[in-house]
Amino acid sequence: MKTISLYVDKGTMLNKIAPESKIWYVIAAITIPALMGTRWAGIVLIAVSAALLLYGKVLKRTLPLLAVSGFVLLTVLIIQGMFWWGNETPLFALGPAVFYREGVNYALGILINIINILMSFCVLILTTKPSDMMENFVRRGFSPRFGYVFISVFQIIPQMTETMSTITDAQRSRGMETEGSLAVRIKAFIPLIAPVIMSSLINTKERALALEVRGFNSRKKKTFLNDEVKTAGDRYIQIALPVLIIAAAVWRVTQWLA
Amino acid sequence: MKKKLWSMSFNSATLVLIPAAIGINYLGKLFAGLLKLPLWLDSIGTCIAAVLAGPIVGAICGAANNIIYGLTMDPISTIYALTNIGIGIAVGILAHKGFMKNIKGAILTGLVVGVVAVIISTPLNIIFWGGTTGNIWGDALYAWCASQGMPVWISSGLDELVVDVPDKLAVVLIVFAIMKGLPKNLVSLFHSDEEIENLDHTDELK
Repeated sequence: MKTISLYVDKGTMLNKIAPESKIWYVIAAITIPALMGTRWAGIVLIAVSAALLLYGKVLKRTLPLLAVSGFVLLTVLIIQGMFWWGNETPLFALGPAVFYREGVNYALGILINIINILMSFCVLILTTKPSDMMENFVRRGFSPRFGYVFISVFQIIPQMTETMSTITDAQRSRGMETEGSLAVRIKAFIPLIAPVIMSSLINTKERALALEVRGFNSRKKKTFLNDEVKTAGDRYIQIALPVLIIAAAVWRVTQWLA
Repeated sequence: MKKKLWSMSFNSATLVLIPAAIGINYLGKLFAGLLKLPLWLDSIGTCIAAVLAGPIVGAICGAANNIIYGLTMDPISTIYALTNIGIGIAVGILAHKGFMKNIKGAILTGLVVGVVAVIISTPLNIIFWGGTTGNIWGDALYAWCASQGMPVWISSGLDELVVDVPDKLAVVLIVFAIMKGLPKNLVSLFHSDEEIENLDHTDELK
């Protein structure tokens, strides 16, 4: 079945450790540079994430994710480089466009921060199956009904995408234009999206009935399909990372006081 | 019988509405991309859920939507869950007050939701992106404002405003058109806490 998740099982250690450990890593990777307030922390963490991704054999798969934000980052660099408030010293010029040192510097800070966030998230999402993550949350006390809601999104979206291509074909065969001027394209939006929305809302009724028939609202304690996988490293990771975050905060406070 | 606005009780229909709404959000974004429209149109589902089942469900849809995007396609979008929560709540309240019953109310709702989105997104844009949005028209305006020496929050707010308000207006109008066409028995499915009138009096006899 098609899926929207980017997860791949490469059988490495990163696939085996608990999702919580990886979530702690994401939290640490975002908060530590923010707490320390230095760019070096961000650069070091980007390197750490890259090393982890390489070890997990998924470094190549981070590229499409980086590309999503890459274009926006490029515009940030251009706009801040040319128009940032503190701009004073020209750095270089491309024809009539002058880039300033201060703006480029400011944009680099944004770049490092965003890339760091993206890479650390990749460590989590490229190596963790969404349903495993949700199952672990439910084990820790998250509502199983909402757990179902999250997991079913991953099943519903591929289904709806299929319905969508059927409807697009059907409307085209009736002679609807989907290419051309903006007005034509706007007009095409409603006849394309409305049938999918209607059918998916009507499907919710059947889905709800199907769930209730299978005891979805039962108050009995739910059991799990998969056994919990625990590795020895998880405990250490889940202690070490919060300690590092606190250490970063303490370091910053001592910097303030000094 | 009017349903309670801040009800936290969800029936199964309301719960399965959430993934459907997230799917609709996704398709809106996909279609807008396919047709190369200059809008995002990625909150249709959140708004439908908020109209059908109230602000709490709208907010949950908004949050879950962005968390799932964050976990699959675009990690940065996780933080914009806050914006979508705001959108869900705003639409839910306005729909409850009866704004989504006619076209004038729908336009007003669209404008309010657009402004709510701008108010929540602008600080996030400034923190994470230095104030730009990645939309060409908005960023061109941002660059112009910055070159005129306007403060960052005005430039960034305007940048977001020119993109978000038309987008949310379009979204709410699409939702309005779709709600008009929804069968009544489907709509009533999501009003979980409406009192059911019982014609059978056996309960009282007990």
